[in-house]
Amino acid sequence: MKRKLILAGAVSLALAMSACGGSGGAASGGAKAGGTLNLAVSQSLKSWDLAEASMGNAEQYYEPVFDALLHMDSKGAPTANLATSWDYDASLTTLTLKLRTDVKFSDGAPLDADAVKANLLHTKAGKGEAAALIKAISDVQVTNPSTVVVKLSTPTPSLLRSLANVPGMIASPKSLTSPQVPVGSGPYTLDAATTTAGTEYGFVANPNYWEKNSYPFEKVDIKTMSDPTARTNALLSGQLDGAGISPDRVDAVKAGGLKVDTVTPGVVEGLYIWDKKGAIVPALADVRVRQALNYAFDSASIVKIAKKGLGTPTTQHFTSDSEAFVPELDQTYKYDPAKAKALLAEAGYANGFDVVMPDISSLFPEMQAAMVEQLGNVGVRVKLDKIPFDQFMPSILAGKYAMSYFKTGGADPWIAIQLIVSKQATWNPFHYEDKHVTDLLSRISTSTGSAQVALYKELNTYLVQQAWDAPWDVVKDVYASSKNVQVTMHPFYQTPPLFNFKPASQ
Amino acid sequence: MAVFLIRRLLAGILLVILVASATYILLNYTGSDVARNIVGETATPEQALAKAAELGLDRPLGSRYFDWLGTTLSGDLGKSWFNNVPVSTTLLNGLPVTLSIIFGALVLSALVSVILGSLAAVRAGWFDKTVQASAVLADSIPGFLVALVLAMVVAVNLGWLPATGFVPFQRSAVEWLRSITLPSVALAFGATAATTLQLRGSMLDVLKLDYVRTLRSRGLSDRRVVFKHVLRNAAPPAVTVLSLQFIGLVGGAVIVEKVFGLRGIGSIATSAAVQGDAPVVLGVVIVMVLIVVVVNLIADLAYGWLNPKVRAE
Repeated sequence: MKRKLILAGAVSLALAMSACGGSGGAASGGAKAGGTLNLAVSQSLKSWDLAEASMGNAEQYYEPVFDALLHMDSKGAPTANLATSWDYDASLTTLTLKLRTDVKFSDGAPLDADAVKANLLHTKAGKGEAAALIKAISDVQVTNPSTVVVKLSTPTPSLLRSLANVPGMIASPKSLTSPQVPVGSGPYTLDAATTTAGTEYGFVANPNYWEKNSYPFEKVDIKTMSDPTARTNALLSGQLDGAGISPDRVDAVKAGGLKVDTVTPGVVEGLYIWDKKGAIVPALADVRVRQALNYAFDSASIVKIAKKGLGTPTTQHFTSDSEAFVPELDQTYKYDPAKAKALLAEAGYANGFDVVMPDISSLFPEMQAAMVEQLGNVGVRVKLDKIPFDQFMPSILAGKYAMSYFKTGGADPWIAIQLIVSKQATWNPFHYEDKHVTDLLSRISTSTGSAQVALYKELNTYLVQQAWDAPWDVVKDVYASSKNVQVTMHPFYQTPPLFNFKPASQ
Repeated sequence: MAVFLIRRLLAGILLVILVASATYILLNYTGSDVARNIVGETATPEQALAKAAELGLDRPLGSRYFDWLGTTLSGDLGKSWFNNVPVSTTLLNGLPVTLSIIFGALVLSALVSVILGSLAAVRAGWFDKTVQASAVLADSIPGFLVALVLAMVVAVNLGWLPATGFVPFQRSAVEWLRSITLPSVALAFGATAATTLQLRGSMLDVLKLDYVRTLRSRGLSDRRVVFKHVLRNAAPPAVTVLSLQFIGLVGGAVIVEKVFGLRGIGSIATSAAVQGDAPVVLGVVIVMVLIVVVVNLIADLAYGWLNPKVRAE
């Protein structure tokens, strides 16, 4: 009898709790015009200071508060936003921007040429990923309140696209010196009452925003959720309207009635050959050896098995969104271990060679297994070096490994080049330089339009022939969204930008 | 008693300083280039160097250590290297989350184990056997599995309780209770099993004692004998178990917080440790040691309250 009472009590308590809930759960169904858009981001917010800002899926934290100088259309072409028109000089080192004159920051200050100048110089001087993208800005001049002239130390073909993202976001000049609270001119303002630093950021609509139609939600709530299980459960239970999920949750999320889209952030993964000089492993200096490594990988089966189909096999660094993409190049190195062995023999490595690589089994066990096995099949003996994951990137940058698994890139070809190809590229740890490549890069930077596109393609073709690296596939990220919202994926933005979210009913 | 308290507190403070200093020095020998990880994959080498200089990582360990010790003793725990949020803010945001779910787990665990443990001891027979078998089973199921199943079934499929997130008590008591229920149940699972068995054992020992027979012979009801006299005498070992459980639950909270998307001390500690966010790791260590010291102190006091013999000593 006593037991029954306890049980009855517990059940009624549970029922009472679930009945009076709702405000935090699915019942809120906030994603209608005037409702709340609930999103989750896997990275934590690094800083409200745009000079320290990181990119990738952290971009979503900044989009509600800060408006950017430009936007991009779905082809990657710049479109007007805070800047209404823009014009390069003949040398491509001076960019003149005309600004809207009706925009105010949420602290009442006007958004004018002085504010843009202060922001671009401030961000560029910082240490964040956004800062790295506009480091070529040498000076910013104010012609009149609505005209600003950006000077570049070297032509930067990716500049306009960067100005359509975090590097082009404009904060109120007063807040630049005290960036603890973000003050911008964007569609929303940060709401202290629903914000817990490091955990959850609430935003409410900015009543004075100049183009409210693009942002139909009254509130936006962005939670930091690093755990993929938590993100998936929050989506399935209706607590979220959108979040990135891991590939192994796709089936569960679809079964739960959610929409699943893939995003191609322009990232290419595979075997990156760092030591093209042959400083640690002399064999890698021989182009035939690098080509052999390309023939050694069965990319199609790596994608199918290790990536559960979420990737597109490739042999090039530039993805289909990029002007440098040449579809035919993907046929260059068809899986052919016999040919790989023949090339190795021709280069004088009939017995293969030894190489030390960082162990990535804690994060990508299937990828590592496939990589070690397929390299082994052509005679490349891999010794795995166990290191903590936080030392993975620093030790590659320090030139500790001749080659390793890696993924990086960018939908914009110039950004990809600055990351992987140029002599000073971050992910060129041995500062390998090829005169032909250097020459092509300087010609690309001083050209525009179709001439530039042709040069990009020429560079890409040369890099593939030189077997710069041995890419396997173009990474596809998965973004899940609830039925309450319409989301359009957007090339060149790593997560769907805020203006691409609409209530499902609209 | 006051001398005892002061001595324990001083020892506690010394322990905090020693553990935090050891952590500080160990963190510096991980050999990782934290600055590079902070500025991110696309930043330039110059930006990474500038970041390292800004954090003082280019200075010798000794001078950095004494700087850190000075500011920490003055009560300033610094800012996270990765998100610039003051460590004290992060801890103040995270502590209520972790303490809430641990508190919930302890209350559940204490309630269930007192009821099941006493009944099992008194009733014996099939009920006792069932309780024992269930406890062993519950103890052997890993906490994360319980958390995953609860999240999937109760939150996602049935939609009774939220799948993720924490609502502070001040904002809404009901929402707070809803948000901590599933994590607390997941966390309480193993702890309840251990405490139930512990209590059942000590109850059985006490029930065999002469004074129980005397009480019964005087005609006291079973319930009175068990809950007023036997339980009180059998409770002290269970309190020790509970206080140890508390410390163990902090560890269990790491996984439960992850599954339920809660930013408590556990998940703060793991993400900071993986990234190499030294100020946050140190802040968490300091708070953890303080908690362990305080909990042990409370357990000692409770033990004395329950057991007059200890008080007299």
